[in-house]
Formats: sequence, structure tokens, C-alpha cells
Amino acid sequence: MNLSKYIAGFVIIIYLALLGYLYFGIGKGKTYPSKPISIIVHSKPGSSIDFMARKVAEIARKYSDVAFVVENRSGTQGLVAMQHVLDMKADGYTLLGVTKSFLSTVMVNKSKVSLDDFQFIAHMVFDPEALIANNERNFHSLADIVQDAKNGDTPQVWIGPGTGSRDHLMALKSWETLEINARWIDYKSAPQSILALLRNEASVYVGNPADIKGKNDLDIVSIASNKRLKSLPDVPTFKEQGYDINESMWRGFAFKKGVPDEAVRYVTKVLQDVVNDEEWEDYCDETYVFSNFLEQAEFTKQIKKEIEETNFYLNEAGLLVSYKKAGPNIFLVLLIILAGIFFVILVFSKFKISNISYDQIIAGSIFSISLFFYYQTSLFLIPDSLNITSPSLIPRIWIVILLLLSVLLFINSKKKKDVRKHHSPRYVLIIIVLMIGYLFAMQWVGYYLTTPIFILASMYLLKYRKVPFMLINAFGFVIFSYLIFNKLLHIDLPLGWWFI
Amino acid sequence: MGILNDLWLGLQEFGHFLPILMMLIGVIVGIMVGVLPGLSPSIGVALMLPVTYGLDPISALVLLVSVYLSSNYGGSITAIAINTPGTPGAVATTFDGYELTKQGKPLYALMTSLTASTMGGIIGTIILILFSVPLAWLALSFESYEYFALGVFGLTIISSLAGKSPLKGFISSGIGLLLITIGFDTQLPFSRFSMGIPDLADGITFIPALIGLFALGEIFYSIEKGENLESRKAAKVDLSQSLPLKELLKLKYVMLKSSLIGTLVGCIPGAGGTIATFIAYDNAKNSSKHPEEFGKGSLEGVAAPEAANNGSVGGALVPLLTLGIPGSASTAVLIGALMIHKLNPGPQLFDKEPGLVYGIFISLFFANIFMFFVGLMGNRLWIKIIAAPKSLLYPIILALSFIGSYFIQNSVFDVGICIAFGILGWIMKRGDFPTAPVILGLILGKMIEENLRLSLLKGEWIDFFTRPGSLIIIILAMVSFFLPYIKKRISKVNIR
Repeated sequence: MNLSKYIAGFVIIIYLALLGYLYFGIGKGKTYPSKPISIIVHSKPGSSIDFMARKVAEIARKYSDVAFVVENRSGTQGLVAMQHVLDMKADGYTLLGVTKSFLSTVMVNKSKVSLDDFQFIAHMVFDPEALIANNERNFHSLADIVQDAKNGDTPQVWIGPGTGSRDHLMALKSWETLEINARWIDYKSAPQSILALLRNEASVYVGNPADIKGKNDLDIVSIASNKRLKSLPDVPTFKEQGYDINESMWRGFAFKKGVPDEAVRYVTKVLQDVVNDEEWEDYCDETYVFSNFLEQAEFTKQIKKEIEETNFYLNEAGLLVSYKKAGPNIFLVLLIILAGIFFVILVFSKFKISNISYDQIIAGSIFSISLFFYYQTSLFLIPDSLNITSPSLIPRIWIVILLLLSVLLFINSKKKKDVRKHHSPRYVLIIIVLMIGYLFAMQWVGYYLTTPIFILASMYLLKYRKVPFMLINAFGFVIFSYLIFNKLLHIDLPLGWWFI
Repeated sequence: MGILNDLWLGLQEFGHFLPILMMLIGVIVGIMVGVLPGLSPSIGVALMLPVTYGLDPISALVLLVSVYLSSNYGGSITAIAINTPGTPGAVATTFDGYELTKQGKPLYALMTSLTASTMGGIIGTIILILFSVPLAWLALSFESYEYFALGVFGLTIISSLAGKSPLKGFISSGIGLLLITIGFDTQLPFSRFSMGIPDLADGITFIPALIGLFALGEIFYSIEKGENLESRKAAKVDLSQSLPLKELLKLKYVMLKSSLIGTLVGCIPGAGGTIATFIAYDNAKNSSKHPEEFGKGSLEGVAAPEAANNGSVGGALVPLLTLGIPGSASTAVLIGALMIHKLNPGPQLFDKEPGLVYGIFISLFFANIFMFFVGLMGNRLWIKIIAAPKSLLYPIILALSFIGSYFIQNSVFDVGICIAFGILGWIMKRGDFPTAPVILGLILGKMIEENLRLSLLKGEWIDFFTRPGSLIIIILAMVSFFLPYIKKRISKVNIR
């Protein structure tokens, strides 16, 4: 027993040393930059923007005193990453990787995040939109595509990831300029689109030149830029063929508004040095993109222009105006009303409230939650101009199934007597409250201070009383998680708003 | 023999100090990634990506592939020990693995899972080496119709998972299916059911939901039951037990079959190892001599999903290497790694860099074997942890679930999701509702809806039945759905 006391003391000393180490460094460092600069990327590792950010971080080592560290925060087409940057201080240590897709993201989602909250400090590259086809189609020029479209009985099928995405807007632009009729089918992701193209399911895939890398069966018909790519000298541009389309996905970096000028100047300088580096040229050739460095003023001007254009094409795609509500389906409504009446009769005719079993309560809850979901489906918006299956179709199928099953469960459980005995859920409720408290406290005072308290409190609640073991467990766990997460996996656990 | 020559090239490429060291590190890191709830294989691989910048291509890829492989095994450890699947692929392992732990036989489950994982990994690698070209055809021939059919096939497995009350099983899966429709519509850039909550616009994050439903649900339930949590005896673990080789040998056909299922499903881009584990579990149950033991601590029920899960690793590399298309979240990161080292994934890779490709294959072999021995040593440690009093263990699991849910998107909301699903899991357990079908619904819901609607855009309803691929899968789905009931009927008749 004595030994465990010594171990507990030892663990606590290490914990205090760790706290000192973690919190002592905060607030020091007067000249910018004094700590690593994070680059927030809105997509998963391996995506184009992620790849670019990692390349920048690698080359920047030569030119910057501090490291650039890439962090992925994917979700909601970039809104998660944007929101994350806005949540951080405007101190110049959080850089956001931006792409042209953010313009439509902000417009379509009508989110409270606005592009005006950011200062776009550097345009790095642009990646021309490309029309790609399976080589069995023998499309060698835009004229071939137009020819095929005019000869065919049915409209051509054009595919790509997303509705309202840059690729979709590029398709709309192309149809207008080439004066052809075609259908857009959204294959959700680039890999699924490319698979469909490999199967020759579609006429054209709208993507970027790098998509054909390593695939022998695919050809780029044309790219939408002013000049040809150095590493793909045989691929013609739209302009050469007499069509004036210049459409590309740019990538660059932005800060939250209000970052000190000193920081903006520093990072802009580093990024400029990166672009002038030989390795950068290699990277651009390797990934089939054009290097084009623009500073804040020019970049911002360009974005202003593009916002108007994006607005125009999103309108055309029917994604900004003229919605209709999905509205209730009459047949379903009748079915639901019938089921509802049946349900109400069941509840009130045969049962006293005190006799209702646990299963019946659950059945009733599922029934009412399903009804609530059904009401929500009638509010879904469908753009008038798009011909797609209704977004409410599948949810309604599940809802009807759940409604029927819950009625069945209600009837079924009346036959059997409920023999389960339930214990008092008091401790569970206390634990849940404790967890919610821990969650909020953690955001304010950080992981390292709150976690031992939470662990000690819940052990106490679960009636564990051997103090030395409790201390070893609580503080040892914090030290262990620091080593695993911070040191081995390079994930920073939150230090708390009060301290940063 | 071309293949032998290529393998020899690969061995020369792999057989150096640095690649071997990276394999050893990769396996150990991978197991840890698997054990920690919230760290899925793809996140683990992504976290190791920066480490590879300074390495030569073979060492870099060996490191990532080893992490990918062994994290798939690591997920089963916590699934067995504390009913918390460390990775989505380990959900099916909880059904019987945790049951065995509750019966005081965790070592049985851990050994079975380790052996099955190793077998699955090795068989997957062999298939990858020998048949990657024909399998690429399978990956390519899967269209939205087949994906939809596969999703439906996956759902039919509920009839084996439901246990005593099929009705409750169906309700559970319905809850999962409905909840996963929250978030972005599959065809339009609009959010459904998000009720104006910005954090809900992208839907429910899967991993926090998984952790909540299994880990928190179980903890809440056993706290409520007021079991004797503080005593060591309550855990009932016999530390001296060991698994006789004979028991493991009996599982060889299950392991072989499940590994094949894992590899085949694994090589379909976007389907993934998790679906494979459910299919393998269902198949093992339907063909077992003792289907009644499933869900009550059957060793077959542990072996099948684990073999399938690690078999899927070899499968997932097929579309990556032969078509240049990532089949899973982890292989998407691998493509990034290839590009960082200026290699083009795709058919040209085999011609240009046979030494590298076969070097990776060979490293997979050795990684499997090394994983087995690390696992053996690890099992001693896990057993001790399992034997610790629950009142010491539960607070730690709660804290781990917190970190696991939090750091995926640095989102407090995700931790809220985790707690909410914990409460849901608890409520369901109180009423004997099985929780696994909820997860099945969450996994398959998106796949079913996306591909149904894509298919209807491209064609008509009838196409599901006129295409041989989707027709076969739909028939399989029917069989798998009704088989358990037919079997029950037959056995009842026989008893009479």
C-alpha cells in the first residue's frame, strides 16, 4: 500500500511539471512569428488543396523561421474550416487554404460565414478546368464533342462531382458557349466520376488535368485556360479552338480579417519565396497546374469579379432562386392520419397510463419523432429547374416503415407482460450531467486541468475509494494521453480559451 | 515466372534496414491507433503522412500500409475488452467478442481475433498479388445499381443480428437509416432536417455516434444495473486461461471464407471493410453448425468479422494500384503519399516501379506476421486492463470517448453527439433493443440513397433487375433475409 502512495506522488509531480511546461510558454514571444503557423485545409488528406498546402509547408522550411503545419478540418464544403479560422484569434498563426469553390459554398449555403470576414493574402496557383473523355469516344477537339452532341438522339451526359460545384458551373458555361444540349449527372465524388468514365458511361467528365494521371484510357479534350500547360503540350485550350472560356480552380491562402500587417507581410513574403523556388515549379508541372502568385490587392479584386459571375451561373443552375417546397404527399398524409387515429385509440381505449410498458413508451416516442420528421420533409426545397428525384423520397420511405413498425411494437408489447425490472437511473443521470459539465469546462480551462477532476469525480461516484490508485489513474491518464496524442500523433489537445 | 521475378525485385527493395524499421514502427503505431476510440485507420494513416516526407518512397509507403493494416486489427481489442469498437470495422466484433469477455473469457476472443486478423491479412495479400488484374474488373463493373443492391444486401443482415425480437431489430435499423438522412442532400447542396443548427448541416459525424452508442451506452447501462463495479472479482477474468490450438483450428474454414469475402468487398471502391465484416458475420452464422451461439459468445462470430476486416486491406489496394482510384478513406491518403513521392497511382505503376509495388506486397506479409507477435505480447496487457475494477476503468473510457469524439473536427458539438448517442444506446439497451442495427443503418443509409437516386437519374427502376450484377446481389439479399426464418421453421418441424 505504501508503494502505491509513492507512485501516486511521483505521478502527480510529473503532472505538475507537464502543466508548467504546457502553460509556461503561453504569452511569451514578442516578435512575430514565435510559434508554428497552422494551415487549415477544408478537405481530407490527399486532396489537391491539401497536397498544395503540404508542399508549401515543405518548401517554406527554407524561407521561414517557424514551421507551417497543415491541419485538416473537413466538412460542410469548407464551412467547418472557415468557421474554425474565424473562431481563432486574428494573430497571424492560423492560415486558411482557400479555393474558388468557397464562393459557391458561401452563396448556396446562405451561411453566416461571409467571404468579407477574410483577407485573401495570396493567390498561389490555378488549376484549369478540363473536359476529359474516354478515348473510345475519339473526342480530339471541342468540335468533335459538338458534332457528337448534334448527331446524337439523346442529350449527352456530362458528369462530375457536385451540384453547384465549380465543375458543374463549368459544364453550364461550356454548353452555353458550345451551343449544345446536355445533361449533368452528379456522381458525388471525383473517384466515382472517373470510374464511370472508365466504364465509358458518360460523354464528358468535367474535372482537372491531374485527374487523368496514371490512367491510360482517358484523354483531356481541352483545358479552359489562356495557354497550354508546359507538361501537357499536346492538350489544346478552348481559346485556340475559338471558344472564349477561361475557367479554373484557383488555390491560395487567406487570413481572418484583422491580422496585424506585420504578420501579413511576413507570410506573403514567405509564400512569394515559395513560388519562386525551383521545387515549386516542379510541383506545378507534376500536378498540371499554373503557378500564378497574386498579392492581396489583386487577389481581392479578382474575387470580387468572380463573385458576380458565380452568382449568375448558380442562378442559372436553379440553385439560388425559384424553389418550391416538397409539400406533403396526399397518400402518405392519409396513411399517417389513419395510423395516428389507430394509435390514439390504442393508447386511450385499453390502457391506463400507469399500465403502459417501457416498450410502449418507446413505440410512442418513435411514432411521434417520425411524424415530426415527416413534417420536416414537407419543407424541403427543390429547385424548379432541376430534374431530380425528390430529396424527400428516401426519408419518407424510412419514416413510413418506422411508423408501421412502432404501431406493431405497441400492439405486440401489450400481449406480453413486461417482466423487466428497472433500477434507478439516478447515477446515470449524475454521470451525464458530469460529462456535460466537463465538456463546457474543458473549452474554458483546457483539457489538462479538467480531465483529472472529471476522472476523480466519476470514480468517486462509482464508489471507488482507494485514494492512491485514484490519483495514479487520473493523473497518469493525463500524462499518457499527452504522450500519445501530442508527442506521438501530433494532435494538440485544447489548452482552454482562458489561457490562449 | 513473371510474378516470382517481381517478388524478388520487391524483396530486394524491401529488404533494407529503413523499410523494415518503418514496418515495425507502423505496426505498433497502427495497433495503438486502432485501440484508441475515434482514431480510425484513415486518420491514423493521415497522421503519419508528415513523417514520410523525409523518407524514400518504399519506406514511406511501407510505414503507411503497416499502420493501415494493423489499425484494422487494433480496433478489435477495445471492441472485445470494453465493447467500444476502436474502428468502424470492429463493430461486428463486439457482438460475440464482448460477450466472451463478460463470460470471463476475453483471452479466447482476443486470440481468435488476432489469429483471424493475421490470416485475413495474409490471404488478402496473396489475393492482391495473384489476382489484382481480374479484381480490378470487379471494382470497375460496380455501378450505382450494384452499390444500391449491395446496400440492401447489407440491410438484410439485420435478420441475423436482431436476436430475440426481429421487430425491435428492424426498428433499430430504421432509426439509423432515418438519422443518417440528416445533413446534405445527396443530389442538392442543401441540408435536410438540420433545423437551422449550423453544426448539424453536415449531418451526424459517424465516429462519435459509434462511440456513444457502444461505449457510453454500455457504461450507462451497467451503472444503472448497479453491478458490483468496484471489486476486482466482478470482472471474473481467469488470467491463467489459454486458448487450445484445437479450437482455433476448427475455425480455419470460417477464417478462409471470411477473408475472401473481406478481400472481394474491400476491392469495391466505396463499399469498404465495414460492410464486409457484417456480410462475413452473417454468412458465418448462416452456415454455422451452431448458429444459436452467435451473439452469445461464439468464437466463429469473432473470427469471421476480423478475418474479413483485415482481408479488406488487401482488397482496398486493388483499385488503388490497378486503376489509380482510392477505394476507401485510407487509400485516398495513400494516393496523396504516392503523389508526394512523385509516383502516379494506376496501371503504369506496375510497369514503371515493379520493385516498389511488390516491395509493398512483401512488407504486408511481414507486417502481418509481426503484428501477430506484437498482438500476442499485447494480449497479456489487455487482459490485465480488462481485469481491473470497472469503477477505475469506466472514467478512463469516458474521458477517452471525449477526446476521440472531439478531435475529429475539433468540435464540441461532436462530443454532444457522442453523449446523445450514449443516451440513445442506454435507452435502447434498457428495452432490449439491439444497437448494432442502428450502426448498420448509419453505414448503409447514405450508400443506398445516393445510389438509388443516381440510378434513377440514369435509368429506371427495372434496371435493378435486368442488370446481372445487381440482380444476383438482390437475390443473395433475399436469401440472406429469409434464411434464418426458414431454418428456424425447419428445425421446429424436426423437433416435433
